[in-house]
Amino acid sequence: MHIKSNELGIIMSGLTIIVPVKAAVPNVTAVRLDPVTHNLVREGVPLMLNPYDRNALEFALRLKDKYGGKVITMSMAPPSGKDFLESTIGMGADEAYLITDRAFAGADTLATSHTVARSIQRLFPDFDLIVFGEETTDSTTAHMPAQVASWLNLPYVYYAVEAEARLEDKVIRVTRYLEDEGVYEMYEYKMPIIISVYKNSNPPRDLSLVRKINARVNGLVKVIDNNMLKLERECIGLRGSPTIVAKIEDAKPIERKRQLFKGDPKEAARWLLDNLTKEGVIRP
Amino acid sequence: MSTAQAQQKICSEWNPVNKNEYKGIWVYVEYVNGVIKDGSLQLIGKARELASKINTDVTAIMVGNNLGDVVKEPIYYGADRVVYVDHPALSKYIPHVYANVIVQLANKYKPEIILFAATKRGRELAPYVANSLRTGITADCTELDVDPKTRDLDQVRPTYGGNILAHIRTPSRRPQLASVRPNVFPTPPRDTSRSGEIISETLDSIPSINGQGLVEERPAVKGEEMPPVEKADIVVVAGRGVGGVDGVKLLTELARLLGGTIGGTKKVVDAGWLSADRQVGQTGKTIRPTLYIGVGVSGAIQHIFGMKESKVIVAINSDPNAPIFQYADYGVVGDYREVIKELIELLKSRKGS
Repeated sequence: MHIKSNELGIIMSGLTIIVPVKAAVPNVTAVRLDPVTHNLVREGVPLMLNPYDRNALEFALRLKDKYGGKVITMSMAPPSGKDFLESTIGMGADEAYLITDRAFAGADTLATSHTVARSIQRLFPDFDLIVFGEETTDSTTAHMPAQVASWLNLPYVYYAVEAEARLEDKVIRVTRYLEDEGVYEMYEYKMPIIISVYKNSNPPRDLSLVRKINARVNGLVKVIDNNMLKLERECIGLRGSPTIVAKIEDAKPIERKRQLFKGDPKEAARWLLDNLTKEGVIRP
Repeated sequence: MSTAQAQQKICSEWNPVNKNEYKGIWVYVEYVNGVIKDGSLQLIGKARELASKINTDVTAIMVGNNLGDVVKEPIYYGADRVVYVDHPALSKYIPHVYANVIVQLANKYKPEIILFAATKRGRELAPYVANSLRTGITADCTELDVDPKTRDLDQVRPTYGGNILAHIRTPSRRPQLASVRPNVFPTPPRDTSRSGEIISETLDSIPSINGQGLVEERPAVKGEEMPPVEKADIVVVAGRGVGGVDGVKLLTELARLLGGTIGGTKKVVDAGWLSADRQVGQTGKTIRPTLYIGVGVSGAIQHIFGMKESKVIVAINSDPNAPIFQYADYGVVGDYREVIKELIELLKSRKGS
């Protein structure tokens, strides 16, 4: 138990940080799709921890190192997801939960975020922060943090690079980086809030194999199914998913213009800039 | 609606949807720090095209404080109507506050489609809006179409590594939300003779921030470090033809002027002219920027594999028979040093003017 006291001597525990992670498919180009739903077939596919979730876990662990408390990882995944959750314990998470049930299968991002948000509410109602990775490498939507924020009606901020907490009044100040504007912004909120971590920040620490093996031997990953959660069937899995994959097709190779310029370098440069401006790929 | 559909039980946290009540196409026009994002204007152009197929109109949504004349801009770019919320509590961009304002507007007007530019802020905002409306959203679409019969939005996005295009639909819910990366569609011409309806909307309540919200902003120090190759919109790639570290330096200057980043082929990395994380190609990183500029790159197939999905490809090489020209939209045959120096001069004079 991590206990801290402030100047007034009031005793408080540190931060309770939930890090939801995803089982990503390592090689997205070599997977099987369900012929009917066009969804990725995840059963029997070796899974890995989504790389950007490791940055999120690092972000959470740094806060824990500084303020105390605990870091809990969770994942909605097939039963084989246990392995990468053990890795999160190896990296330093205190607890890990596998949320698994056939009823969750076929979920789009709305149904997935419902499952994640309601599971967190039921399992860890006293959380201070939910910290996500920026996006996953296999579906790259970056939907989950904002969607979970919407279900829980909480403030949220994407692209976080660091945070400072004031435990006495439960305030968190998050610095985030907007790559396309080249701007840092600092937001200050009352906790709880939801944070998504910039993928080029917080390089993850090494995993301790001893801790990971210990997690396996002692069965530290707790398995939760929908008998325990009792989430409404209409809100989860395929039935809770408003989007459908109507059709898939091979991406066609892109036709190229193949325009060639030979001659004076000055004219060549002007010709290039004019064309690129017309294409809208550089600013006029 | 068929009886079977009408009877189908939905999640108790979803509102029932009568699709016929939802009309019109919306574009959220992102306006932050005095700038309207090009990506939003580009979507007005696409929305026009979709609207004509289903005989409806295009509304731009703007949120902020002291918007002034900027609310006319979407009209100039093709919107029929602008609905905006101008309020002191919206002077700073707060993700959940802005998102909730859009949600309230959507609940009131019931559009059938809402489009967002997938800028960093747009990617943050759109999923919250979709979720609060209990509807679907598709991120980073590369093409959009609409079915005139069902009025379903056909949302096309590359998936599973980009080799497959998925067509995603939201057949039973409205509105239908999609985001599109900037520069996927062209910017429509600005026509100040266009006119349209401009509606100032007031809301019953602006959602509370729950804290101080945005407390500080500062620009990143320029040249602090260049973005990684897989995340930049513009990538200048050095091939062995650049000759050495000096050549790479020259290209880095060009990349910086363009607001992009520098990358290299395997040979350049193996020679130690650039670090390994900047290698583009089969054994390096796969990139799909909006603009790829290959300089002194011959175009080995292993390199092509890592950049062929770029939106526009430029090649500069002294060898007219270099294979890269087969994959390029614009090729320049000549001494790269001279061409790049001219490019740098031109870009500098443009910025200065």
